Amino acid sequence: MTSIGTGYDLSNSVFSPDGRNFQVEYAVKAVENGGTAIGIRCKDGVVLAVEKIITSKLLKPGANKRTATVDRHIGIVSAGLVPDGRHFVSRARDEASSWRSVYKGPIPVSALSNRLGSYVQAYTLYSSVRPFGVTAIVGGWDSEAELAVDGQVGSGPESGSGGKIQGAKTGGPGLYMIEPSGLYWGYYGAATGKGRQAAKAELEKLDLNSGNLSLLEGVKEAARIIYVAHEDSKDKDFELEMTWISSLDGPTKGRHEEVPKGLLEEAERAAKRALEGEDEEEDATKGDANDSERMEE
Amino acid sequence: MFRNNYDNDAVTFSPQGRIFQVEYAQEAVKQGSVVVGLVNKTHAVLVGLKRNAEELSSYQKKIIEVDSHMGIAIAGLASDARVLSNFMKQQSLSSRMTYGRPLPVDRIVSQIGDRAQTNTQHYGKRPYGVGLLVAGVDEAGPHLFEFQPSGMTHEMLACAIGARSQMARTYLERNLDKLQDTTRDELITHGLQALKETLSQDKELTVDNTSVGVVGLAAEGAKGRIESFKLYEGQLLVPLLEALERSEEGETKEESMEVDS
Amino acid sequence: MNHFPEAWGRPRDDIYGPYNPSYLQTTGPKTHTQSPAVTGTSVVAVKFNGGVAIAADNLASYGSLARFTDVKRLRKFGESAVIGFSGDVSDMQHIDRLLESIDIRENYSTHGNTMNAKNLHTYLSKVLYKRRSEFNPLWNHILVAGFDENKKPFLSSADLLGTTFSAPHLATGFGAHLAVPILRRLFPDEESIETASKEQAVAALRECLKVLWYRDARSLDKYSIAVISEAGIEIEEDQQIEAQSWAFAEAIKGYGAQVN
Repeated sequence: MTSIGTGYDLSNSVFSPDGRNFQVEYAVKAVENGGTAIGIRCKDGVVLAVEKIITSKLLKPGANKRTATVDRHIGIVSAGLVPDGRHFVSRARDEASSWRSVYKGPIPVSALSNRLGSYVQAYTLYSSVRPFGVTAIVGGWDSEAELAVDGQVGSGPESGSGGKIQGAKTGGPGLYMIEPSGLYWGYYGAATGKGRQAAKAELEKLDLNSGNLSLLEGVKEAARIIYVAHEDSKDKDFELEMTWISSLDGPTKGRHEEVPKGLLEEAERAAKRALEGEDEEEDATKGDANDSERMEE
Repeated sequence: MFRNNYDNDAVTFSPQGRIFQVEYAQEAVKQGSVVVGLVNKTHAVLVGLKRNAEELSSYQKKIIEVDSHMGIAIAGLASDARVLSNFMKQQSLSSRMTYGRPLPVDRIVSQIGDRAQTNTQHYGKRPYGVGLLVAGVDEAGPHLFEFQPSGMTHEMLACAIGARSQMARTYLERNLDKLQDTTRDELITHGLQALKETLSQDKELTVDNTSVGVVGLAAEGAKGRIESFKLYEGQLLVPLLEALERSEEGETKEESMEVDS
Repeated sequence: MNHFPEAWGRPRDDIYGPYNPSYLQTTGPKTHTQSPAVTGTSVVAVKFNGGVAIAADNLASYGSLARFTDVKRLRKFGESAVIGFSGDVSDMQHIDRLLESIDIRENYSTHGNTMNAKNLHTYLSKVLYKRRSEFNPLWNHILVAGFDENKKPFLSSADLLGTTFSAPHLATGFGAHLAVPILRRLFPDEESIETASKEQAVAALRECLKVLWYRDARSLDKYSIAVISEAGIEIEEDQQIEAQSWAFAEAIKGYGAQVN
């Protein structure tokens, strides 16, 4: 960055002569140091996963969740400054709840992402605030069933005026990633944090845009990708945290929940096996079994 | 003596994505005297070393009861801690008033975390200059949380913050496996032992400079589900310090026996 | 033509007299809903050994008109609490939204702290009391059934004034007069409640609803019944009052062929 020290990077909301907002770029640096977080949009649900680096032996194992529930059907995982991530989630919850109070129904994932994008963008506009030091992945399932009318009295007509449109198709999985600039895109597979490059490379191999990957396969892949992304910081222990949202007839019935312990452990075992297999292919003489054992701790 | 251009306020990122003002606030925590917290399956214990400004002055309070199921230990700016503890007391009371239930510990901890985060993102505010250990019990059992000026909160099995706290952390890490299966009284002794590790050669734990807070699940057959937060100071500490002495004697004996064999 | 454009186009004062704006003035107090509109009638509930049973019919009346006949007046909260509403249906829907937002908030984290029926009742009574203190009451009388923090069966009521009352058997509306005496006869003391089975409790409620159907003109023969026990909530929303006998009506003035 050539313009560092020229003074244009000392305040938020200031453009440098070549049209950059340095404070936003520095916020991105904070994200790039955070544990890897990914999201996969499968045909029947969404998986969120995060690599939680264990900074101290004294931390309570399994506590200190990094994925958050925003509304029944939406979850968020983020990389970067953890307290900023909590602020972001808190805003997301307020947005989801205010949407409910106005529209009497759950907020669509796309609408929530849009509002959060605007909120984050506002923190790049003023010198009195700093941008968010997080990139957040928003995943959810918009109900494919007809929404119950709020405070429904009676069942309503089966057909005809005010009745149902037969065979109308709505809802489905949603996955968005919001950056410190406020920029957001929809994704088939999203990755952020330290190991994002490796994770993206793996996500691209999955052929997600064909829409064939099932949620259960997605869980396995997400675990494996986090393990792959962790290869670069092998010296540190980590915990894998995963949540998912399935379709209404799937395992979570459209709700954002933690991946059950049994399935999580199974996915972790598969991830370790896959890694060991790769290692053998690459370098048959070098046994990395010890490393993967240490990760179990 | 500015270290760089990026440390004047909490709303400026450095080119590496750091916020120096927040990091400096963390230093204020290290200036405070040490406090230790630890949990086992039934109890959460806070232990603190109190300081007095001069020989004739009183000692600074280190452990504050927030509600009957929760207390905090502080390291850093005591007046910032008072703001936070008052807020926690209000939230606790409000939960009891509105829902008739004690406030879950993780919830109040994330609330103060969110408050602290706000102070790191808006110009004209400064980060809190205090670190807290929050010990409490709720439906899910006993808990210990660490709170930092950055707004970072962690649930811990054991923790120590403040001056020379590294010594205590080392002790806790070494004894982490034992802690889970201790009794209430053994847990307190471990806490005092960890605190003692931080003392310089010429100092000792006394009834004047030590503070202990205990909260937990009530013993089998006791009235009520929880054992309310209890603060041990002054003469109340005598049996606790004696237990510490006894355990130390026991340990040296054990060690010498090991040497013999 | 004058220079007050806001007056242009209005009736001339010299012909019609000065404009009298008095009807626009709002003298007197600000008023809120002073009466309910669409209402539900009685809710009845009784404790038994290991849980609580609660029932209400499926009717929402508009005055004396039986307006909506498939209204669910028993609302689940979480896995072990049911709230039964009588009174204004739109206010019930408002409270239902409050409960939904609480439920979402409670499930943000999986910390193992759950809100029980007793907490819920405390909260709802505070809401009702706050609204009546603003002279804008939520026109409901509610029963909250479930468990307290010690996993003991819990049953309590709160009304539109924020008054709370607790008993082993409770009923709102007409039921307070017609059902409670029946329940008191069936379960006269603490002991009989503690030994009552789920089946006995359910049968008692069905009996109460039948009597209410006979005698309360705002009631319906279709009803919902919920049983909250350690196993969770069983709720049935399409029950029908059975084995009716209107023979007693022959003995009452105004019914049947009898004239005097």
